[in-house]
Amino acid sequence: MDEPSLPAPPTVPPPAYDARTRRRWPWIVTVILLVASTAVAAGIAVDQRQVAAEWRDSAEDLAGQRDDALGRVEALQTQLDEIATMLATSEGDVTRLEDRIRELADEKAQAEDTATTVQVERDVLAQVSNRIASAIDALDECVDRMFALHATTVEAFNRAAAGDPVDVDPLNAQAQATTTFCNDARSAAAGAAAAASQIQ
Amino acid sequence: MKHHLRITAALGVIVIAVACVPPPEPVPDASAGELEELEDLDLPSPAATSVMRRAQEITVRIRTLGCRQFGVGSGFVLPGGIVVTNRHVVDEPREVTLNTWDGRSLDAEVRGLAVSSDLAMLRLADDAGLPVAELRETPVEVGEPIIVVGYPGGGPATVVTGTVLGHVSGELLDEATEVLRIDAEIRQGNSGGPVLDQQGRVVGVVFALEVGRGTGLAVPATTLISYLEGAPMAEPAGC
Repeated sequence: MDEPSLPAPPTVPPPAYDARTRRRWPWIVTVILLVASTAVAAGIAVDQRQVAAEWRDSAEDLAGQRDDALGRVEALQTQLDEIATMLATSEGDVTRLEDRIRELADEKAQAEDTATTVQVERDVLAQVSNRIASAIDALDECVDRMFALHATTVEAFNRAAAGDPVDVDPLNAQAQATTTFCNDARSAAAGAAAAASQIQ
Repeated sequence: MKHHLRITAALGVIVIAVACVPPPEPVPDASAGELEELEDLDLPSPAATSVMRRAQEITVRIRTLGCRQFGVGSGFVLPGGIVVTNRHVVDEPREVTLNTWDGRSLDAEVRGLAVSSDLAMLRLADDAGLPVAELRETPVEVGEPIIVVGYPGGGPATVVTGTVLGHVSGELLDEATEVLRIDAEIRQGNSGGPVLDQQGRVVGVVFALEVGRGTGLAVPATTLISYLEGAPMAEPAGC
């Protein structure tokens, strides 16, 4: 007799549940993510609406400030034009005044030149005048000495004529001194005359 | 399936990125302060910045009373009360007086005469408030525009323009180095006056006129700088 054989274990088909579950999970996750995304997007939309409102407000503020700045620019431009006009006028005034200053400075310099020249001429004239005065004094002194020599000579001549002894050595010495002095005086006079002629 | 996941992930990232857009920064308060400050601006005066005007201010008229003659020339003022002119303007000086553009008369004395150049240095007794010249250390180039200031004929200051024609050997003119030939109108009395570049810096000192050519000659500023830095100078001779 054949041993009874055990019945073959039934073949268990793979559970259809696992396969379906594995196929559904991505869908579930996707759906959850979509729902979450939708929620987040809704939140973001609200937030962005606020952001947009802030941007709009900012734009309006900026527009206002721009208009204000443009107004100021226009006002400043007007002021700048006025200042430029005033500056041009001032520049013209300065230029004219500087030209006048230069004219006056030139006149002053020319006057100083003249004063310096006159000063030099005055110094030269004073020198010549002093030389002439000295020469005149010397010539006057020469005349005095000539008169003295003449008197001494006459006296000596009279004494000799009267038979008195006469010492001629002092007389000769006086004559020599007078001659020397007068020659110097004449030289001084000639020098003064030459200096005077140079001035002319 | 993976495709769905990627789409979902990308969607999520986009949503999050969009959510990160920040709100606008608060608008800065553009107060009128800065603009109002413009109204108080101290605008520079063109009168004070003119090179021509400055050139005249630094140039002085020099009157010398020598041992035998009276003369007039030009010069210019450097920092420290130094005045530069030509040696031949102040040879054998008894008395030196400077006339400024605005009518001041200042006494000066000759401190040194250049040995191998027609330059002289004077020292002002009082240099208070005088505008001073700036020397250019780099050599001037041929063709460069120049400005010449001086007191030709002892008359009013003149400002003439010209160009540098070239460099001439200075040997025949008793100059140690090359001198500048310029085509600006030079007359007697310009001697000692400055030659300036377009920026108002001194590039030379007028010292002679070439009668045949009608051109002027100037000692380069580089020669002047060498004397300022200690090159030997002679004492002025007495009468």
